[in-house]
Amino acid sequence: MSHLLNHIYRTLDMAIFTQQADGRFCLASSMPNWLLFFLGRSDADSHDLLATFPYLHCFMADAEQLWQAQQSTPLASGPWLEVNAVEKEVPLEASALWLEGERVLLLQNLGNKYYQEVEHLQYLRNGLLNQEALESEVRKRTLEIQRREEDLAIKLVSVTSYRDEETGSHVRRIGLYAAAMARALNWTQVDIDNIRVAAPMHDIGKIGIPDRILRKNGALNDEEFSIMKTHTEIGARMLQDSDIPVLDMAASIALHHHERWDGSGYPHGLSGEAIPITARITTIVDIYDALVHERVYKVAIPEDESIALMKDMAGRHLDPHLLDLFLHLLPIMRQIRTEVQEQEETCAAI
Amino acid sequence: MAIQKKVCLLGAFAVGKTSLIQRYVNSLFSDKYHTTVGVKIDKKQVTCHEQPYTLMIWDIAGEDDFYSIRPAHLRGTAGCIIVIDGTRQNSYTVALELFERVQEHVGRLPVVFALNKADLQDEWALDREQRQLLEQLGCPVLATSAKLDQGVDALFEQLVVQFAPKKEEL
Repeated sequence: MSHLLNHIYRTLDMAIFTQQADGRFCLASSMPNWLLFFLGRSDADSHDLLATFPYLHCFMADAEQLWQAQQSTPLASGPWLEVNAVEKEVPLEASALWLEGERVLLLQNLGNKYYQEVEHLQYLRNGLLNQEALESEVRKRTLEIQRREEDLAIKLVSVTSYRDEETGSHVRRIGLYAAAMARALNWTQVDIDNIRVAAPMHDIGKIGIPDRILRKNGALNDEEFSIMKTHTEIGARMLQDSDIPVLDMAASIALHHHERWDGSGYPHGLSGEAIPITARITTIVDIYDALVHERVYKVAIPEDESIALMKDMAGRHLDPHLLDLFLHLLPIMRQIRTEVQEQEETCAAI
Repeated sequence: MAIQKKVCLLGAFAVGKTSLIQRYVNSLFSDKYHTTVGVKIDKKQVTCHEQPYTLMIWDIAGEDDFYSIRPAHLRGTAGCIIVIDGTRQNSYTVALELFERVQEHVGRLPVVFALNKADLQDEWALDREQRQLLEQLGCPVLATSAKLDQGVDALFEQLVVQFAPKKEEL
């Protein structure tokens, strides 16, 4: 090893080894003081560096590759820490290179350079931790706001529920079913949250329908039915023009949830994909929940019969593609039915 | 004669990997966060199925935007402990990424997930579904606290028992 190189390596607090055929390493430079503790005798012919520094085990495969390719560009192992005789950490780094026909391994005590890096990284990581904590706080508060919005929406809807005897659980389930479909459609989390809150408001316009029609026992005549149909537009007017995305979505659902896939619905006779998807989803989940549950005016229909009825509506009343998705998600819908009913029963028991 | 086994602790930065090792090896704990750069190796003697083992415990610097673990560090690993800070969502995401990366680089090997900082359970950000997802990966999931010395020994035991053959298998 040239005198000049030896001088450079000494300045860098580095030891130079060359690897022998038996895999052991010969020290080719003077031994730095810090290395003496780890290697013991400085006049030993060769050293088992892998036994002394177990970290090198993970580096040797890469070093071997470099030596076989006879590359003179050094490959660094990355830093590791050893502990010396006085229990002080010694940060080391190894580099492998091919030099003058020899397999060379440099061992460097990184000293202050390492601790400067630690200080720098600590500073950056503290910053990241603060940022994470802030983001977590924002998420938590956003969630609280969303829950309040949802509660507010449910309370609002319950005003109409009192009049048409719709249950609170039905309203909550509609939101959860719709959100499950939105999730399956890979919507953004914001849109999933919005439809969970917005879908239950689809019938909010019923607040504007007179009791004699809304609570009438028996079939509505043509005039009464025309009035009943206006609940879609009343609901939309109540919810629109707020600049709040969830209410905008709710307004659109309220307006269009009686449109039909074949164009025979109301109020605008829209057909196919001209009907907003949020409304098409709400129509499906509303019909499902109404069929499988008991109402004051009807008994609960078994699920298999309800599904058969819904399949019959595909392509006429309901979006056939969304209905397929709904049927695919049926286990989730059943779970929602069970869990939300349980909540209601538990509350009633209390 | 003790069999030497390499064990790696992985996870996002500041999840408490170094603290878990310090508690396990030296029965020490410090509240102050000292970031790890590179790797530090500690040793611990354990016995499993009457066979002594020397665990070479690799404390590998945590993952973040500036540093990612080197695949070379996983060479020769008998098992990994992937540490999650229960109060930080991000550390859960990193843990799942690391689990995949471990499999990609060294194949299917024993893994235990540590849900660390159990002393701060009131502030935990992980929900039941996320914990279930971890369990579905087929690895033990343990709540740990280096601060309270909770679940730390069990964490390493759960890992060792996975790679240590039973006496009759030796």
